[in-house]
Amino acid sequence: MPKQRVWDLPVRLTHWLLAALIAFSWWSVKNDHVDWHIWSGIAILTLLLFRLMWGFVGSSTARFANFVRGPKHVVRYLRGDWRGIGHSPLGALSIVGLYLVTLTQVGLGLFNEDDDGLFAGPLANFLSPDTTDKIRDLHELNFKLLLGLVTLHVAAILYYRLVRGKKLTKPMITGRAATDASAGEMRPGKWWVAVICLTLAFAISRWVVAGAPLP
Amino acid sequence: MRTKLFTAGFAFVLVSACGSSSSSQAKNQSANVINGAAAVAAAKPLTKDQAHAVMHERHEGMEDVGKQNKVLRRELTASAPNLSVVRGATATIARHASEATHWFPAGTGPDLGKTGAKPEIWQKPQDFGVKLHNFQVAARALDAAAKAGDLNAIKARYADIGGTCKACHDSYRTDMHH
Repeated sequence: MPKQRVWDLPVRLTHWLLAALIAFSWWSVKNDHVDWHIWSGIAILTLLLFRLMWGFVGSSTARFANFVRGPKHVVRYLRGDWRGIGHSPLGALSIVGLYLVTLTQVGLGLFNEDDDGLFAGPLANFLSPDTTDKIRDLHELNFKLLLGLVTLHVAAILYYRLVRGKKLTKPMITGRAATDASAGEMRPGKWWVAVICLTLAFAISRWVVAGAPLP
Repeated sequence: MRTKLFTAGFAFVLVSACGSSSSSQAKNQSANVINGAAAVAAAKPLTKDQAHAVMHERHEGMEDVGKQNKVLRRELTASAPNLSVVRGATATIARHASEATHWFPAGTGPDLGKTGAKPEIWQKPQDFGVKLHNFQVAARALDAAAKAGDLNAIKARYADIGGTCKACHDSYRTDMHH
């Protein structure tokens, strides 16, 4: 089968930067670098905001409308009755789950502060210390959920590689995969749209870092 | 020079703990560091109940210091800080800081029960004593600044005390989930 483009650069960069930053966030907080941990979370927030916008105005395989499907499609996919490029209906569940849990994690982090009150997310001052105590527990609990989904994600990739003989990692690096010609092709996004999305994502993150001041 | 002084201070505590007397000159010279070093040198072994009582008081006290620190940050980053709230918090922190001299007697580590205190506290009593002492000095300075009422000075002392908390916690406290 001929190789063709399936993932554009913004999707691939977002994916790998997210993976690296989630790992870094974990490491930094376990090694008393809470300040780095907070900045890592802000970077993740920026990526998630960008990815959200790119999911509406990006390339065809990046758009939520093209891959988020109902249970009927998931069942059909499991029966082997699915032609297409990009996320499969089942893979889409994983993407949405990971996205929402990561977003929840960052959202909790913005309001979180440590035991000592030495480090705080940019929005922690909106809440009382007693409330941020509960936020801290939720932040730790939700991380377990995130870790579970990441494990499932990696296990699924290994399953496809070892049992189904399908390589999923390489296309996420090169952006190209061997696909059925009948599956259609990726329509790329526009570079200047990506620049606008990124600028907006940065602007929103900066506003959040500043404590979300109202005009 | 500093190291020598600290060693002298620690030696003094050990000696006096055994009931010997020491020269008043040494006492004056090392008075500043005695508080800290005394924190980890127990005169005689505690009973289990005593040790648990100390650990409980330590936990509650430290938790309150953290809470007051959060109250302080909220006030000091607000557009119009409430000085009486600030003074209440700094006074409470200063009170706990002086209590902390008695919070780390030998035998109140993780061997006895659930605690965030690392065994290193009793393995490196001198370094721990210095760090605890730095916190106590910073707590008094913060409280004095709050009483004087100059907001910039309070913010500077608030930053100082945060540094002393972190310096000690990075080395001597584990994550504790409660």
